[in-house]
Amino acid sequence: MSERAPRSAEPLLLKALALAFTIFIIGYILVPILVTVVMSFNGAAMIRFPITAWSTRWYADFLGSPQWMDALKNSILIAFGTAAISTTAGVLCAWAFQRFHIPFRDGWYILIMMPLFMPGVVLGLGVAIAFGGISFGGYALYGSRELVMISHSLWAMPLVFMLMEATFKTLDYRVVEASHDLGGGPLRTFFEVVLPMVSTGIVSSLLFAFVISLNEFVMALFLTDRDTQTLPVLMWLSLRSAGTPRLAVASVILALTVFACLTIIMLWYVRQLRKVAR
Amino acid sequence: MTAPAALELQNVVRRFGAVVAVNNVSLTVGKGEFVTLLGPSGSGKTSTLRLVGGFEELDGGAILLDGQRIDHLPAYRRDTATIFQSGALFPHKTVAENVAYGLRMRKVPKDEIGRRIAEALDVVRLKGFEARYPAQLSGGQKQRVALARSLAVRPAILLFDEPLSALDLSLRLQLRAEIKRLHDELKFSAIYVTHDQGEAMAMSSRVAVMNAGAIEQIDTPETVFHAPSSEFVYTFIGESCCLPLRIDGPDLRDRAGNPVPLALGERPADGECRLYVRPSRLRLAGEAASLPNRLEARIHFIEFLGDVYRYHLKAGALELAADHAGSIGHGVGDVIAIGWRNEDMRLFR
Repeated sequence: MSERAPRSAEPLLLKALALAFTIFIIGYILVPILVTVVMSFNGAAMIRFPITAWSTRWYADFLGSPQWMDALKNSILIAFGTAAISTTAGVLCAWAFQRFHIPFRDGWYILIMMPLFMPGVVLGLGVAIAFGGISFGGYALYGSRELVMISHSLWAMPLVFMLMEATFKTLDYRVVEASHDLGGGPLRTFFEVVLPMVSTGIVSSLLFAFVISLNEFVMALFLTDRDTQTLPVLMWLSLRSAGTPRLAVASVILALTVFACLTIIMLWYVRQLRKVAR
Repeated sequence: MTAPAALELQNVVRRFGAVVAVNNVSLTVGKGEFVTLLGPSGSGKTSTLRLVGGFEELDGGAILLDGQRIDHLPAYRRDTATIFQSGALFPHKTVAENVAYGLRMRKVPKDEIGRRIAEALDVVRLKGFEARYPAQLSGGQKQRVALARSLAVRPAILLFDEPLSALDLSLRLQLRAEIKRLHDELKFSAIYVTHDQGEAMAMSSRVAVMNAGAIEQIDTPETVFHAPSSEFVYTFIGESCCLPLRIDGPDLRDRAGNPVPLALGERPADGECRLYVRPSRLRLAGEAASLPNRLEARIHFIEFLGDVYRYHLKAGALELAADHAGSIGHGVGDVIAIGWRNEDMRLFR
């Protein structure tokens, strides 16, 4: 048996500091969210402390307002579109990089990743100028949800590409060869063998893209009009006119949507782990 | 005209940059024949197999399957089936779905698929495992599924890519016997790649010993073992002791210049040479008395290998190892006689 050494004051001090720091970080992360949640139940007409009356009237107001519900619908539709576009493009791109010899590989790589490092203002303005007057058969591209989806994909697609490139590197290529060996052509192999093997990466990609689009503000501000504006855009516009607790409600709903997405990722991930790594 | 061979390689060449991985290999596998490619890593045996399977592109020569050229076809249009070292099962498909995959790709009717799955799993003794996922199987079971998956499509040739090398010894021996039994029953044609000469000997109709991208010798296991065509084949195919010698007329000396009193049967030409003997063929002490090649050697150390004791001996600059069942009653440091017959040694220069 070894004797326990007497404790000196130094590690105790370190532990106390570590604890204090941890509490500070947790508070730092949670305070903005908690303040918003609390404020959303404010019964008053202005966002202001102290809260004198508790109420859910602003929730009812939000859900009953066509303008706000439309903005929420726009946000969600654009997020779905962005997830679909950027995941399809990013997955195919990463697969091509992994499987084929591509000339000027590094150049293409930089090109694909570049939008991710561009300020939203630059991208938003660029897209707005480029597509400002263009319409297809009377359908104006500028101000449409589709243009916002494509623009959001400029950010989401490089992320998907990065994620999937790493995922494809962990793939056991003998399994891909086994599929070819048994008579599975390239397309059958990709859909029946490769995609199921990287399903966790694909679900993560979809949700990453979805959340990025849901949270994006600057590009959406440049590219939407009254009919297609997203929730963050409407929040910003209404903050300039009147800071009602409806804003806090919108924040809570936006945050809840993101939380729901993260929950789906976690559930899927656990399910996959159970199935494959038993 | 005779029926075409199951597989024919004609002057096959494969290069990786400046390295020639497969150098002008020609090989014929008859119907129902089990041919092993045996060689150390880097000898080109796996590259040769991958060329047949369609996973590598040919740089020269031709590959014929049942008399038809296949080297221009992608892997998924070739009637070959590979059993990979790792098994390479589809992790998200059950055992039954794994076996069904190749049949579905070949558009076999549904009820026929069910029958063939049952048959293939029966053959590899995995009945009742249909609904399991690969992650729920042991290493040996995975390789059985891989085997069933390949057998089910009834390919023109089965390609084994070191399928047992990832398994532990007892399982390896068990599956080795099982593959042998399956071959005797089903009479499939096969190429089997391995670096384990025991596997090669036990299973093959013929063994092709490969070195540096070329086939050094191809023959029955018995011939390859008893009449190796080159020094490489002799040393690779079994354990051996190497005695470096210098012959100068009637004078026979080791590299240090000590005289070596060996008969050597027919007197070989002058110069440097290497004499090889196998530890299992050396006789010790009294048993060596009447043999034509005899040396006095000191016991250096003794290894117990289970079935035999291995005596490591030194005679001048020569080092030998001899196996003997049971102890010979001598210990380390004793000088004893060691001898062998003329037909148990080979001389290479």
